[in-house]
Amino acid sequence: MNRSLWWKIALIIAILVVYVVVLIPGVLSDEPIRRGLDLKGGTHLVMRVNVGDALVLETDQASEALKSQAAKNNLPVPTTRRVNPTTFVALPPPGIGSADYERLAKDYLPAFDLSRTPEGAMQFKMKPVSASAIERDTIDHAVETIRNRIDALGVTEPLIAPESGNRIVIQLPGIDDPGRVKDIIKTTAVLQFRMVEGNPGPDVKSALDSVGPNIKNEVDVLPGTREDELGRAAGVEYYAVRKTIPVTGTDLKNARVQKGRLGEPNVGFSLTPDGGRKFADLTGANVGRRLAIVLDNKVVSAPRINNRIEDQGVIEGTFTTQQAADLALVLRSGSLPASLTTMEERTVGPSLGKDSIHSGVRASVIGFVALILAVLFYYHGAGINAVLALLLNLVIILGMMAIFKATLTLPGIAGIILTLGMAIDSNVLVFERIREELRDGKTVRAAIENGFSRAFGTIIDTHMTTIISALFLFQFGTGPIKGFAVTLLIGLFASVFTAFFVSRVIFDFWYKPQDRPQTISI
Amino acid sequence: MQIFVNTNYDFVKYRFVAVAFSLIVMAVGFALFQKHGINWGIDFAGGANVVLKFRDQVPMDKLRADLADASIQQYGKAEDRAILIRLPRQRTESDYAGQVVARLNRDLNPEAATSKLDLNFQGRDRLTDLLATVDPDNKGTRPDARAYYAKVAENIINKRSELGIFTSTQQVTSAPGVTTGIARVLNERTFIGAFNVFGQETVGPQVGRELQQKAIWAVVLSTLAMGAYLWLRFDLMFGVAAVVCIVHDVLVSLAFLGIINGEFSLNIVAALLLIVGYSINDTVVTYDRVRENRRKLKTRATLEEQLNLAMNQTLSRTLLTSGSVVIVLIALILFGGKVIHEFAMILLVGVIAGTYSTVTIVPAVAIAWNNLTGRKHDISGPAARPKVEPLRDDTQRKRKAV
Repeated sequence: MNRSLWWKIALIIAILVVYVVVLIPGVLSDEPIRRGLDLKGGTHLVMRVNVGDALVLETDQASEALKSQAAKNNLPVPTTRRVNPTTFVALPPPGIGSADYERLAKDYLPAFDLSRTPEGAMQFKMKPVSASAIERDTIDHAVETIRNRIDALGVTEPLIAPESGNRIVIQLPGIDDPGRVKDIIKTTAVLQFRMVEGNPGPDVKSALDSVGPNIKNEVDVLPGTREDELGRAAGVEYYAVRKTIPVTGTDLKNARVQKGRLGEPNVGFSLTPDGGRKFADLTGANVGRRLAIVLDNKVVSAPRINNRIEDQGVIEGTFTTQQAADLALVLRSGSLPASLTTMEERTVGPSLGKDSIHSGVRASVIGFVALILAVLFYYHGAGINAVLALLLNLVIILGMMAIFKATLTLPGIAGIILTLGMAIDSNVLVFERIREELRDGKTVRAAIENGFSRAFGTIIDTHMTTIISALFLFQFGTGPIKGFAVTLLIGLFASVFTAFFVSRVIFDFWYKPQDRPQTISI
Repeated sequence: MQIFVNTNYDFVKYRFVAVAFSLIVMAVGFALFQKHGINWGIDFAGGANVVLKFRDQVPMDKLRADLADASIQQYGKAEDRAILIRLPRQRTESDYAGQVVARLNRDLNPEAATSKLDLNFQGRDRLTDLLATVDPDNKGTRPDARAYYAKVAENIINKRSELGIFTSTQQVTSAPGVTTGIARVLNERTFIGAFNVFGQETVGPQVGRELQQKAIWAVVLSTLAMGAYLWLRFDLMFGVAAVVCIVHDVLVSLAFLGIINGEFSLNIVAALLLIVGYSINDTVVTYDRVRENRRKLKTRATLEEQLNLAMNQTLSRTLLTSGSVVIVLIALILFGGKVIHEFAMILLVGVIAGTYSTVTIVPAVAIAWNNLTGRKHDISGPAARPKVEPLRDDTQRKRKAV
């Protein structure tokens, strides 16, 4: 028998063995092929990072820096006003020239371009290169923070990737409580310790009225929760707190849930050495006064400082255990540099995922069996050939998906069975060609030879068109549809191989040239 | 078994009838689109979808009162007690579905206000937290204590996933690993809420707009890419005919969507893209045969005759391969479940339209093109094509009657 035929058979068997071996450990494990969110359950989120927040912060800090440098250099403090996220205007007091300020700006505000407004005020505009650097940093920082939080939640195999348009794509397989996860991701968690001035009041005005007139410009009024005698939430009250922020969340080393005297949950924190020094200075200088713990611009609590505190503290508030645990988690993982806006969410619960797998697999098995029966019915002996090619095709698709860690989605399951339906096409092209050649009076061997060689170009063309559209599908789709495109592509390549190589070898094996076959079952 | 052997249908003759028929189908489809408006799904229109499964009878009146602008429909079979809530697009970006679910939880679960945990609403993390805090099995501070309770919580939630929803405490406590101590904690500190969230989707206005554009570009560009490929492989006439054929198949599929008033979703776009690539296959096979015949034919043959010959020669292959895909698609339509139902339906129509257009629309366009360009595609005899390479073993070949 022809040696090259043996080689080909050996090659096919080798490929089969490789794929089956690849698949065996998978079949034994829980998850032979990685399942997409639509089958496994999980959440796909697209969040926009509001980088404007970070720009505003930078601009505000710059205007504060200008003012404080002016004070240090014994210059009258200018009035400043932010006109847009990247621009602020500074106006020196009447009668004072701006030359000194411009010198200061040159030294201390290198990221800003200085120009003049028609009214003669100095206008500081952030340099585009600085602005884009801040935007980039903000996104990176946000991705990092979100990653920390998701890791703390113990999600397996999450995907967190920045995308164009200041967006972050987050995929979390196996999530069964999306509401909580979204809350944790989205909490900005900007923690500040600020001194309280005056007394809290039921509205903004009363809080502001309680502070001295000379420091009215140096306080912000922030809302907080009012507690009754038992520490339960009872409405809103407002606090006037100092604008200066001596200690922030970045000074935190650790945070954890603990229990208070009455067993109520609260969040204990410890500070970095540097943060501890700052905290000690602050508390040491203000014993007897109230310190506001501000989270995301809300006063969580405002305890009275009893003595100097160095490196540990407790955040008390009206928390449930769950809220306290989540707060500790977000504090540990750091604050977000900017707020997030949900642009898109797709969550599939685990129950629905199970349902989808069930119906997807059932439909595929039925379709596959129907396909096999139809082929056998129509082509008899050659049908067996096509069925073998089809089975090998299926093994190759599944094996390739396992090897390349491709994700199987519900449309992907449909894609596999659909590819098999299409793969028949190649066999049909060859078989029909062989039949035609036989009708034209060719011998069996000549018919087989011609059938394969003539059909080759056509098969390549039909596959190319479908591959082109699968590439567009991949480019267009997200999640499930990408999975569909991938299975389709793999299947198309497998189908060229099986229809052309494997099916040919089987024919050569059954109808050997030296036997001079007279009949063929087709 | 063989069908369609040595057929000799005059496809070309019926092309105008076929074109008229296609136009009517498209017109009906688009008239319906005009009448109902396009049923843009959430993917393109933006908005939110929430699928809930209820423990008891679905509280329709309450839901309708709560969500005035929502459309609420049954999801799956009536006895599943599941509903799909569709909410219209919002002006601003927000976590819309999440907000709606939170509101329904507040309104339909009076116990949600207490610190009790809802076993139908919350996940395994919360349950693990609860069990580990109360520690009914006295695992103390041992490092594996949390893992122990996490396993039990996972079993309970998996059980919920299997059942779809818990309807009794009995079902919860029958999960593997639930000890009497844990069962006591579950009885005291948890409750069986009114619904389980099967899925929720929010597509913000901006993402919706972007997806719409992306979808249109993907379909248009892939159609053009297909035309370009076939132009390169064959000739311009055929490239143009192929593009017209694809446009036809896509439009007919869309018309069908209009007729069944189906929702225009991402899956439908995926189906359309697949139709673009697949429905052209028949056409490629046919034209491949035209080209092959041109090398072999030794007498005069008009393009009409060449097309008829090639279509008859490839007819059985065309029908068989479409048939095999149709078999698969019917299986997907009947048994594939809700998510792929419409996807498979549109594909089915596209595949059938693709086969149909191969023997009607493509010849119509090719012949029109040939007539307009001075009938360059007719064969005037062997002398006119001297460069044809002789095919192997072609000498004894009996040429079929044209």
